[in-house]
Amino acid sequence: MTRQRVAGVALLAPFAAAWAVAAWLLWRSSLPAYHLPRLSETALFPPRVLAEAQHFSSVERLLWLGGTLTQLAVLGVYSRFGIRWMRESAAGPVGTGMLLGMIGFALVWVAELPFAVLDAWCQRHNGLSASYAEATVGNWLALGSAFVALCVALGIAMNLARVRWIGDHWWLPAAPLFVGIRTLLAFVAPWLLGGRAFNAPYVAKLEAIEHVHVPVRVISGLGEPNAFATGLGASRRVFLWQPIVEPPFTPRLDSFVLAHELGHLAHNHIWKSIGWYALIIVPLAFLLSRVARRRGGMGAPEAIPLVILTYVVLWLAAQPLQAVVSRHMEAEADWSALRATRDPAAGRALFERFAAVVKEDPSPPTWDYVFLEDHPTLLQRIEMTQYWKG
Amino acid sequence: MSVHEHQPHPVKLVIEDDYRRNRLTVFFRLILVIPHVIWFFLFTVWIILMSIPNWVISLFTGKPPRWFHDLMCAYVRYQAHLNAYFSLVGNPYPGFAGEEGEYPIDIELPAEPSKQPRWTIFFRIFLAIPALIVSGVGLTAGGGQAYGRSRRRSFSTGSGSLAAVCGFLGWFASLALGRMPKGLRDAGAWSIGYTAQTSAYLLLVTDRYPNADPTEMLAGVERPPRHPVRVVGDPYDLRRSRLTVFFRLLLTLPHVVWLLLWTIPAFFAAIAQWFVTLFRGTPAASLHRFLTRFVRYRLHVYAYLFLVANPFPGFGGAEGTYPLDLEVAAPERQNRWKTFFRIFLVIPAFVVDAALGASLYAAAFLTWFYALARGAAPWGLRNLSAYALRYDAQVQSYALLLTDRYPHASPLEGEDEPAE
Repeated sequence: MTRQRVAGVALLAPFAAAWAVAAWLLWRSSLPAYHLPRLSETALFPPRVLAEAQHFSSVERLLWLGGTLTQLAVLGVYSRFGIRWMRESAAGPVGTGMLLGMIGFALVWVAELPFAVLDAWCQRHNGLSASYAEATVGNWLALGSAFVALCVALGIAMNLARVRWIGDHWWLPAAPLFVGIRTLLAFVAPWLLGGRAFNAPYVAKLEAIEHVHVPVRVISGLGEPNAFATGLGASRRVFLWQPIVEPPFTPRLDSFVLAHELGHLAHNHIWKSIGWYALIIVPLAFLLSRVARRRGGMGAPEAIPLVILTYVVLWLAAQPLQAVVSRHMEAEADWSALRATRDPAAGRALFERFAAVVKEDPSPPTWDYVFLEDHPTLLQRIEMTQYWKG
Repeated sequence: MSVHEHQPHPVKLVIEDDYRRNRLTVFFRLILVIPHVIWFFLFTVWIILMSIPNWVISLFTGKPPRWFHDLMCAYVRYQAHLNAYFSLVGNPYPGFAGEEGEYPIDIELPAEPSKQPRWTIFFRIFLAIPALIVSGVGLTAGGGQAYGRSRRRSFSTGSGSLAAVCGFLGWFASLALGRMPKGLRDAGAWSIGYTAQTSAYLLLVTDRYPNADPTEMLAGVERPPRHPVRVVGDPYDLRRSRLTVFFRLLLTLPHVVWLLLWTIPAFFAAIAQWFVTLFRGTPAASLHRFLTRFVRYRLHVYAYLFLVANPFPGFGGAEGTYPLDLEVAAPERQNRWKTFFRIFLVIPAFVVDAALGASLYAAAFLTWFYALARGAAPWGLRNLSAYALRYDAQVQSYALLLTDRYPHASPLEGEDEPAE
């Protein structure tokens, strides 16, 4: 073992320890140590609802798999041949890197379009609201934002890597910068979302119980029944999607949804998400810097196609970790909602309705659960209501 | 070398106008043109009726009969004379028969009907659509919109913005000066020439596709004096990467965001420059450099977005880094009156700029399809777009006090540019 390698391991050990301590601190929650009762999904859901949800979810899983494999294949080919588009740039190394990054993203977008269209078809076929325009070009604002975000990220990383005394250590200043941007976006985003005020009589009561006093807003124009909490400090908000405040969702079910979202804010889940993002982005940026060295370092545009591929692979690899963290927070929010509403029947009815309305598989296969499920399964959530009831 | 250099277009614009305008006829131009409008309407109906047998016979024989050819030529010429008179590009009252050589803005057409590929005759109306789009959006005389509601007539009298704007602004200028400004005259003349080429193509006078290149259209016209703000670049740089063309809108997004951010300090810099120029009589060199970079960067981004150039531009607006580049003269002494009233003085230029912007959009739209198919930009549309961008850069430079020389609307570059 060379001296350099020994020094590397010596540095890595305290870093790994610090990472583990930080992860442990972020993992701590108000959830009690619980054992969920085992319930049978066939006993909870009507056979037709169950069959439809399982069928729809299996098709969705196949589409995800197809889209992801296509994405990896496209980026694999692009990492090999992408540098040929360097000649289409007059923008210097950093600008050229941005161009290569964007072309890679654009190719992935086009390659995934058939899956997006199939997904829309599948949703419509199953009675869910989905539009082909939305699936392809309708969401242009999000697509454009992704391109700009990519350019900002590449601009930061490449410019830092091109500073002589930083070089391959660009990830050290870049990672905190990415976390800072993520924090800024989390702070600003709620003000950009708009929506109309939601003034149901139970809002104030739930806010008092959760010790969270934030505006609650309804966003229209969305097809799925859903809700989310977002924002930091003064920008904290709860957003309800229009379909969740409409039948078949009753005010009783909505109060459970709202309590769940307020639970996220009460337990600082937005801050914790940022913390987890920091824990993931630091090693990820480090690994990217190692990979980029094979093609001249992050400051060289030639490295970008390979960096993009590596980033996607690493992000996929980190998906189980992100999913388990997310499920843990969602479980805490569910628990918080049960404590606030003291209405497990409402929670159970809500989750049963989700299976029927959004065709969510109450008990997906293990690989799906590990990789994709960022919420506890519907069955687990119903089991939690049962557990709370005693 | 391009084929365009060897084979001049058979439909040529001939200009013998001396810029002088009679104030009385200018003032009453809208009234004086009424008999022509009525006659043009009748003439157009007749042409629509005759174009059907012309098309059928041409399809069988491979070329239009002589009588039909002469009739269509007369119509194309008459349309050009009328458009010229209406948009103040020409001064004298035109004749009613489209006589050749009788009007200072004239169209030279093939004397004899020529053999044409039958498939292009068969599909002519579809093939003409791109030219009609350019012609209709930006180049034809605005007076056309008053001529009636015939479906077929739209090819010759679309509500084009550029010629309309030139006529509108030229009306005030001609009344005040007794002369039509050269820039507006040239821009209007070019639009008339392109409309004539489009009509000639549609009516089977020629099978040569209309050429939007303004330099070639106005080849015989004297060049304007050199402007301190110039766009330089290789007009033969036509190669385009199909992939980046396909994704051009997405790829330009970061530049659009950056340009928006840059606009904020540029705005405040322009205000500061206004005060400096007003009091000192000369712009501050540092602000001049900053604003020049801003205008140049804007040009680079627009050139990329509108497919006038191929490579992805840099973010700094540095000189000499892009195939379509901006040259701005060093800061010079500026007239204080012009500086004080700059915000009002620039309004007419903004109007022309907006009209040219419509052409730019149409050209980019068509270039996108062409470049995807051929991997190259069309010569004519590329140069039309470059003209629009040059004028836009001059307007921006004037508004941001980089120069007090008014933007020149002529499609031709300044005098000491090497002839192409």
